[in-house]
Amino acid sequence: MSTNPMHQFEVYRIGPEISLGSVNLSFTNASLFMLISAATILLLLFLGTKKKLLVPTKIQLITEMSYSFVAKMINDTAGSKAKPFFPFIFTLFMFVLFCNMIGMLPYSFTVTSHIIVTFILAAIVFIGVTIIGFIQHGIKYLELFVPKGVPVLLLPLIVVIEIISYLSRPVSLSVRLFANMMAGHTMLKVFGGFVISLGLLGGWLPLGFSVALTGLEILVAFLQAYVFAILTCIYLNDALNLHH
Amino acid sequence: MKQIKEVSTRLEIAKKKIADNHKINKGSNAASLGKALKIGTELVASVVVGTLLGFILDGWFDTRPWLTISFFFMGVGAGILNVIRSAKNMNKKKDMENN
Repeated sequence: MSTNPMHQFEVYRIGPEISLGSVNLSFTNASLFMLISAATILLLLFLGTKKKLLVPTKIQLITEMSYSFVAKMINDTAGSKAKPFFPFIFTLFMFVLFCNMIGMLPYSFTVTSHIIVTFILAAIVFIGVTIIGFIQHGIKYLELFVPKGVPVLLLPLIVVIEIISYLSRPVSLSVRLFANMMAGHTMLKVFGGFVISLGLLGGWLPLGFSVALTGLEILVAFLQAYVFAILTCIYLNDALNLHH
Repeated sequence: MKQIKEVSTRLEIAKKKIADNHKINKGSNAASLGKALKIGTELVASVVVGTLLGFILDGWFDTRPWLTISFFFMGVGAGILNVIRSAKNMNKKKDMENN
């Protein structure tokens, strides 16, 4: 059972069963690891900002680096108008990053390898950005679907294509994160299984692969968090500055 | 006085080294890898969303295969449009950095 590469993605209940009507609200291992990620972020930021030294300690340095990294990303992609949304994007980036990274620890559970988690995150971004767009521009926000300089005859087709392209945003955002995390963890587990089944004689090669893949997975874990945050910035930019 | 001069030349050399390193690393940072990973899903997602939309609309209007088929092709169009758009965006940013 434990050699099944998909076993690691199983969600199970911890503690008593809680249900509200027909909705199952039990505390699961997924909720536990989300809480662990959030608590780790809070702890890191708390320790990092406790003593504001001129020459920073390591934890303070990490905190300041993550702050300036996200601040620069927002400024570069969405401009100064997006400054008020810094807390949201910072939270999103840190949450995805820590869920990915904590998933890399042995015996842990990767929350972001479940499509429902990433899809809800992407849907929040998508709905939020759409609302911001309508608040900023009113009904003129719909101009996003009507590119300039298109012949009237082609307009119905182009508008439908633009709407499909707009609706595909949350899908591509969530599928990217979920697929990368799940594929990576499955691959790691498969190579781990090879080490056991090939034994002391032939197991060294897959073990080497496993070590190399772990490094790659840590890179992917960071990159996917970065991509998630930067795409949120790009969508926000579309909503705030209406021209393309 | 001699010591100060020595320190200043060493500082110059160190600065130059940092600048050179910066130049080398510029093209191969994590950001460009992120962009590369992002394009593939962009193409697929539009096709999936288009087909799904066509399928749902088919159910509403009772025109079973036709809307699914036409929305599939429009989804493909939207996917290609998305890829071209993000590629254009990358080029624009690169030009801005070079100037």
